[in-house]
Amino acid sequence: MGEKRFMKGNEAIAEAAVRGGCRFFAGYPITPQNEIPEYLSWRLPEVGGVYVQGESEIASVNMVYGAAAMGTRSLTSSSGPGISLKAEGISYLAAAALPAVIVNISRGGPGLGSIQPAQSDYLQATKALGHGGFHAMVFAPNSAQEAVDVLYNAWDYAERDRNPVLVLMDGCLGNIMEEVELPPMKELKEEDIPEWSLSRRNGRDWQGNITPIYTELILEGLNESAGFMYKDWEENDVQVEEFMLDDAEYVVVAYGIASRVAKEAILNLRAQGYKVGMIRPITLFPFPKKSIRNLDYGKVKGIIDIEMTIPAQMREDIELQVLERCPVYEYGRSGGVLLDDEGVYEAIYEIVSGGENNG
Amino acid sequence: MAEYKRSTLIADSPSGYCPGCLHSLATRLVSDVIEELGQGDNSLNVISVGCSALNILYWGGDFLSVAHGRAPAAATGVKRTNPERLVFAYQGDGDLAAIGLAEIMSAANRGENFTVIFANNQTYGMTGGQMAPTTLIGQKTTTTVYGRDPATTGYPMKMCELISTLEAPAYVARFALNSPKGVRDARAGIKKAFQLQMQGKGFTFVELLTNCPTNWHMTPLQTLDYMNTNTIPYFKPGVYKDTEVDKA
Amino acid sequence: MKLSFVFSGSGGQGIMSAGITLAQAAIDMGKHATYLPEYGPEQRGGSAKCTVVISDEPIISPLPKFCDNLIVMNEQAYAKFGEDVKPGGILLANACRITETNAPEGVTVISAPVDDLALEVGNAKTANIILIGILIGATEVVSEEAFKESLEVKFKAKKPEILAMNLNALQKGIAIGKQYKK
Repeated sequence: MGEKRFMKGNEAIAEAAVRGGCRFFAGYPITPQNEIPEYLSWRLPEVGGVYVQGESEIASVNMVYGAAAMGTRSLTSSSGPGISLKAEGISYLAAAALPAVIVNISRGGPGLGSIQPAQSDYLQATKALGHGGFHAMVFAPNSAQEAVDVLYNAWDYAERDRNPVLVLMDGCLGNIMEEVELPPMKELKEEDIPEWSLSRRNGRDWQGNITPIYTELILEGLNESAGFMYKDWEENDVQVEEFMLDDAEYVVVAYGIASRVAKEAILNLRAQGYKVGMIRPITLFPFPKKSIRNLDYGKVKGIIDIEMTIPAQMREDIELQVLERCPVYEYGRSGGVLLDDEGVYEAIYEIVSGGENNG
Repeated sequence: MAEYKRSTLIADSPSGYCPGCLHSLATRLVSDVIEELGQGDNSLNVISVGCSALNILYWGGDFLSVAHGRAPAAATGVKRTNPERLVFAYQGDGDLAAIGLAEIMSAANRGENFTVIFANNQTYGMTGGQMAPTTLIGQKTTTTVYGRDPATTGYPMKMCELISTLEAPAYVARFALNSPKGVRDARAGIKKAFQLQMQGKGFTFVELLTNCPTNWHMTPLQTLDYMNTNTIPYFKPGVYKDTEVDKA
Repeated sequence: MKLSFVFSGSGGQGIMSAGITLAQAAIDMGKHATYLPEYGPEQRGGSAKCTVVISDEPIISPLPKFCDNLIVMNEQAYAKFGEDVKPGGILLANACRITETNAPEGVTVISAPVDDLALEVGNAKTANIILIGILIGATEVVSEEAFKESLEVKFKAKKPEILAMNLNALQKGIAIGKQYKK
């Protein structure tokens, strides 16, 4: 049994990171993620780790680059505007094959946008976290507990792939307080420091180097390997929750906070006799293509994409699997205006109760 | 007579630097000092972007190549997690004084316990000779074809002077590599900086005035004279901060 | 049983601390709870709102629009959220700042001079405890005894007068709330 606490999402993330072996954090203040650096500023030194407040998002992600190169489990966090600044560094992490974890507690966009929660960074997270055509695994937990589980294991994926991992949550999940069960501390030893790293604490006695720049044939080879890795993720690492799909005539697709509001609505609609189910991507990349592609379109009359952003950003990924076998609808709130139970219920109700013209 | 031989920290491959470029000499000085201090295996070179990045081709010790201007940030991550290592960043003037100005000033201000070697040749060498923040007034570059005009481009930035205004740095000094004396002084300065780092004294900064025969459109010998008459009078060599001495 | 609460007002009125304290008390009693704060950009005096859901079952959505218990501490909050309370629910208004309430049909209005009561107790900061007292009295969302215990734990390290003041605030609130208990 782990340890139960009533915790703010951001603090739960920070504690789970520490327990997952994170020993270096660098970041720059931005709402709505400030509790992550604030927590780690005192928590990391307690466990022999290092916290640095960077002079910018750019500096912070490059500090993480340096620490990750030494084989230290490293983290940075921000919100959309800051993730844009980190884009350079994230691309370099991917280029140099360095594992690190980046948390985006997203808010309304574009630009400075709003400081209130929004799911406005799906496209940035899944399509282009930086220049050069690379991907990171993108996890989108929908509760403080799931965020804890994701962070606890994030470095295992990052180190397995030698690639950055992104955790995408919105300001609601960062600021919500709810119960979490914390897992035990992972005790990492010096001899476990990855062999490829520039650390010499693991006994390495040969010259090592890490670089984000290559000659063209080597780079082409690395690009190809990355392509195989992405395919591999799709085969083996998709995480998805399928909810009440067996007899569903309408299927909601929603992730993160939107999935919780949608689930509440679905249960209420089920009580009214409407056959609605939900596909919830937990990994946004790799996207759960099969769950959507393999639905029984003899039965399913419509897909409803619910996101806390307008226009819906996941829609094209959904449509590529639906292939016009049924209409795809979307509903959302945006700019920092939150989804709510009644609004989502009404939106789904209007579609499932026969409003075929909402497409 | 000391035997002249290749430093073990320089790989057995040709330098990518142009003939007559003082980058080669600067790298050589750094590697010699590290060897002399017995820090070969313990050293870690954080390589920046620009001609300095050619170090990737022939630096024979551990190195981490990083994004343009970000070496002091990356070195912070390296040194904070592995304080036992001898860590240095090797940066050019565009990298350090333009795109990386926030990173160098902030690392210096935090008193990060690593060394920055700053090669100042007053131009962007690798991209073909554009104006750098350190380009001298009147100096012609591919983006100041009539010479640098302070009315629109400001004045050459003096990094030693700027950094020495900060409280934290332990050692800040500038040397010119265009004379035997300058080279000897530079070697001693680099050694002092590394020694201070090994003693945990904090941020150390060594600026080396270098040349760029290719983009200055001069012979190597002409560049050395040009440095005497133009560069050195503006970027004055000397020790700008030495907390050990200041304390005494 | 599942109950939702929206606390709203301006920064400094104890909105957030009332929400957290209530949610924490529910957790301590073995219930499930979520607390979701919403802030304006100001550090002081801006708008403040938080949503608390308390249930015997794990909570799915923490984002109800219409709540069972709406607490409004000033005119602006009332103007913005005054309609967002479910029929059968409670609208608790700070009478010191909200002079007139036209609650939706079927909503019980509790108009209490929360600011004055807090000053009577001895400190404006006890407003949040008075609010919780009223809600406990009217809904029994958490038990009176258990909440007292949690206050005793919370103020253990402080001077005994502070605990006494908060217990007094709680009692004043409960006495008001009980008049509305269904």
